Amino acid sequence: MSVAVAARIARRELRGGLSGFRVFLACLALGVAAIAAVGSVRESIQDGLRRNGAVLLGGDAQMSFTYRSADAAERAWMAGIATRVSETVDFRSMAVVERDGVAERALTEVKAVDGLYPLYGAVELEPALPLDAALTGDGAVMARVLADRLGLSVGDGFRLGEKAFTLRAILIRAPDDAAGGFGLGPPTILRRAALEGAGLLAPGTLFDTDYRLALPAGADLAALEAEATRRFRDSGMRWRDSRNAAPGMTMFVERVGAFLVLVGLAGLAVGGVGVSAAVRAYLDGKTAVIATLKTLGAEGRTIFMAYLMQIGVLAALGIGLGLVLGGAVPLLLAPLIEAQLPVPADIRFHPGPLAEAALYGALTALLFTLWPLARTAEVRAAALFRDASGPVRAMPGPRVLAALVALAALLVGAAAVLSGVPDLALWAAAGILGALLLLVAAARAVRWLARRGARAKALRGHSALRLALGAVGGPGGEATSVVLSLGLGLSVLAAVGQINANMQAAIAEELPGVAPSYFIVDIQPDQLPGYLARVERDPGVHKVQTAPMLRGVITRINGRPAREVAGDHWVLNGDRGVTSSDSAPEGTVITQGAWWPEGYDGPPVMSFADEEAREMGLKLGDAVTVNILGRDITATITSFRVVDFSTAGIGFVLSMNPGALQGAPHTAISTIYADAAAEAPLLRDLAAAYPNITAIRVRDAIDRVSEVLRGLAAAVTYGAMATLVTGLFVLIGAAAAGERARVFEAAVLKTVGAVRGQVLAYFALRSAILGAAAGLVAVFAGGLAGWAVMTFVMEADYTFEPVSALLIVSGGVLATLLAGLGFALRPLAARPARVLRARE
Amino acid sequence: MAAPILALKDVTLTLKGNAGAVEILHGVSLDVQRGETLGLVGPSGSGKSSLLMLMGGLERATSGTVMAMGQDLTAMNEDQLARFRRQHMGVVFQSFHLIPTMTALENVATPLELAGAPDAFERAEEELRAVGLATRMDHYPGQMSGGEQQRVALARAAAPRPDTLLADEPTGNLDGANGAAIMDLLFGLRDRHGATLVLVTHAPELAARCDRIVGLLDGRVDRARKAAE
Repeated sequence: MSVAVAARIARRELRGGLSGFRVFLACLALGVAAIAAVGSVRESIQDGLRRNGAVLLGGDAQMSFTYRSADAAERAWMAGIATRVSETVDFRSMAVVERDGVAERALTEVKAVDGLYPLYGAVELEPALPLDAALTGDGAVMARVLADRLGLSVGDGFRLGEKAFTLRAILIRAPDDAAGGFGLGPPTILRRAALEGAGLLAPGTLFDTDYRLALPAGADLAALEAEATRRFRDSGMRWRDSRNAAPGMTMFVERVGAFLVLVGLAGLAVGGVGVSAAVRAYLDGKTAVIATLKTLGAEGRTIFMAYLMQIGVLAALGIGLGLVLGGAVPLLLAPLIEAQLPVPADIRFHPGPLAEAALYGALTALLFTLWPLARTAEVRAAALFRDASGPVRAMPGPRVLAALVALAALLVGAAAVLSGVPDLALWAAAGILGALLLLVAAARAVRWLARRGARAKALRGHSALRLALGAVGGPGGEATSVVLSLGLGLSVLAAVGQINANMQAAIAEELPGVAPSYFIVDIQPDQLPGYLARVERDPGVHKVQTAPMLRGVITRINGRPAREVAGDHWVLNGDRGVTSSDSAPEGTVITQGAWWPEGYDGPPVMSFADEEAREMGLKLGDAVTVNILGRDITATITSFRVVDFSTAGIGFVLSMNPGALQGAPHTAISTIYADAAAEAPLLRDLAAAYPNITAIRVRDAIDRVSEVLRGLAAAVTYGAMATLVTGLFVLIGAAAAGERARVFEAAVLKTVGAVRGQVLAYFALRSAILGAAAGLVAVFAGGLAGWAVMTFVMEADYTFEPVSALLIVSGGVLATLLAGLGFALRPLAARPARVLRARE
Repeated sequence: MAAPILALKDVTLTLKGNAGAVEILHGVSLDVQRGETLGLVGPSGSGKSSLLMLMGGLERATSGTVMAMGQDLTAMNEDQLARFRRQHMGVVFQSFHLIPTMTALENVATPLELAGAPDAFERAEEELRAVGLATRMDHYPGQMSGGEQQRVALARAAAPRPDTLLADEPTGNLDGANGAAIMDLLFGLRDRHGATLVLVTHAPELAARCDRIVGLLDGRVDRARKAAE
């Protein structure tokens, strides 16, 4: 075989132009562009997070403590390593505004700062005051959403706890906004010193103290982290530094980015269907050329090489177009994207994501063209003398089959490695493959049903419908290509629709039915009797629960560092709530062991949440060390019990005997289950009597979670739209490729007496049937995915959601109708005589 | 004498192509009587197929009139022409022109369905049996030989019982034996239904089976040939 000869043949063949390859180029370019654009934006955000780590964190490093400030040793160590140390205290509280004797209350996350805050960056206010000026005396600033909720304007007063503050400015942006993660209430910033007399930071009140450190240039963050951890970890200290200033945000961007790249790969798979169809159509038209080449002595491998080179050149062109598009769009939209992001992004050219997109594009192009290319070897010279237009249909040989499997493995492997979330990539690949197989099977079923339908006696006389069904079920129909290309994109959309609707239903509709009305935190022990007296005598309250609460960090299990024993379990990440109870609270279900006897006064014992204990590998008799307020308490597990977090009621992983926590300052947490009408007066009375307590309205928290979920669903929907657009390109390609056949059919139908309306009805029905089939299959696949996610991942009930399903099916019909009817004009206008004679 | 079933008067046909306008027919006038079989002969490019297409309303005359069954085809729009063909004309082509996504039975039933015949499939079955394809009704065109496909095309043209059958070199793509069989069928159908038949052909022996032969040369009726007959 001569490569040079193959190359010359390829070059000459390419002189024919690219007219048959528009869809090929569009599919590949769009898939590559989507992945390149998502990758570029992800890289830009991550780059921004890395470069601005110190600003986002508010310091080069941060040490945090719960319930307390740093002790003398910790302060001394920080002063030794840092050039400046800024201290902030974070806690939740209720901002209160009284107007005409009526109090408005809203939950806020208070940040009490010192004069050094922020160490890096600047706080943006409206009007544009310096922060120092805004916080002088009783000054405070708060987020616009909070001010609006309370009806506050700049200059108005409000109360936190027992102290009055003045709103001096609206907080537009604080440099460390993104580092905080998910907050239930909008922020308020004030001076730490201004809290004196507010009665908000009494012993046992839940608050965090953060120390932001400005370090000398060239400080070794890793070494400092190791040293700080060694010295203070067991005292509940948490370390964070500018290398990963906003870990929650970084992980979120990584996950969403990876997920969108995987959705992009689904788009590329859809594009692959179009690419494959374009190559097959091109090679079908080349049968005579291939047969001629064989007559002239060309070997099968030379011909294969010649066409592989042609497809290679076109694929390179498509990928190049995609890279230009995917690289340029984020740059062009940079101001828009940057304005939408809560973190500083540095949108610029990033070669890494473009290379990743090019690799996916090249592997997809090869994967989807190798099979049709391999068919060139099956064309015989005799085809010239028989029916040269007859397509060659054969399964690929074992070598091609092996190459296809290897390419698929390489593509999935690349996605697994490069996405950074191998599990998700493998599941996504399995999902895409499963969906493709399901769609192929569905396309076959649709064709079979259409064939049966076309022959059904009931349809005789309904010529347009029968013709449409005959065309869908008949040979050479485009059913498979349309169901595949449109179905995959619609399936992703349907799955998102079903999962989102079920999650929203579970959180926003079902949860409020079982969840309490309010969570009340920071009830001081001496306030508890009065609190309970007020709540329990309210006829609108049907249940109230209280429990003592402290926060503690699990540091050791059986004397070994906890992470060594239980790995990176969420229970070990930061501090957890700890409660105590002399006897098992009402309704407690013990799964193993027994609760300690009432009045027990021996060494500390503990009841641990059953599911979490199993995940962490704990067993009865294990010794768990919990650091509470800097003091280590080691308790023996004597029982495991069921803790249900799904009802938003009181649920503690750790419960200890009261004696174990004796002397530790603590507050109480309470849940109130009340009628809606009783809520407002109850809250008014409680807040007036106990200004230090914080009431979290569960409905508001649920709304906030719903909002985040909706945002996520929207991001995924945008990703799925890219898949759908690629699918539309394939559809348009299929419609364009079928135009010649439609022209011929229209000519024949007109010859035998069909008027244009009948021909149009036939075309429309044919498109609509295919679109509806793709939509129905997508709804089935999406429903299946929704059921699987809700049942196995969320462990919640699944209910089929009909509205999004109906939209999906209608969308499918509309898309195929538009694509189909867009190419119906020529067939309708063509004169039968010319069309038919041209084929003589 | 009864009015002709087809009457063409001073018909011209000019087609516009990439290389400019090409005059195909120059002032052709021709009458065809009801029940007559007419052979249109002439060399390639003489305009005989174009003339046949004008008779079927498949092509529009540039000037002149084409009357069929007393109706002016040149005054009709596309849909009116389609309805006229549905009721009065059957057309057979050299390349069969069956719809590949339909079975033989569906191909034959289609014009009957379009005409609103309630027994379209029963009549289509009957027609296919008449052309010897009782066992091939559920086959797609791609599964049949050229001869079989042309028989389906004949059945399709004859099924609505048209007043006129127009056949454009119906044996052109077939071998001798198949061609002869098709011609027997065509003339048999014509005899059975009493339709008028206009046949374009290159083969003198086929033309000889017609009642009358009209020759065309360079888009005009070949007077010399007409005179010779």
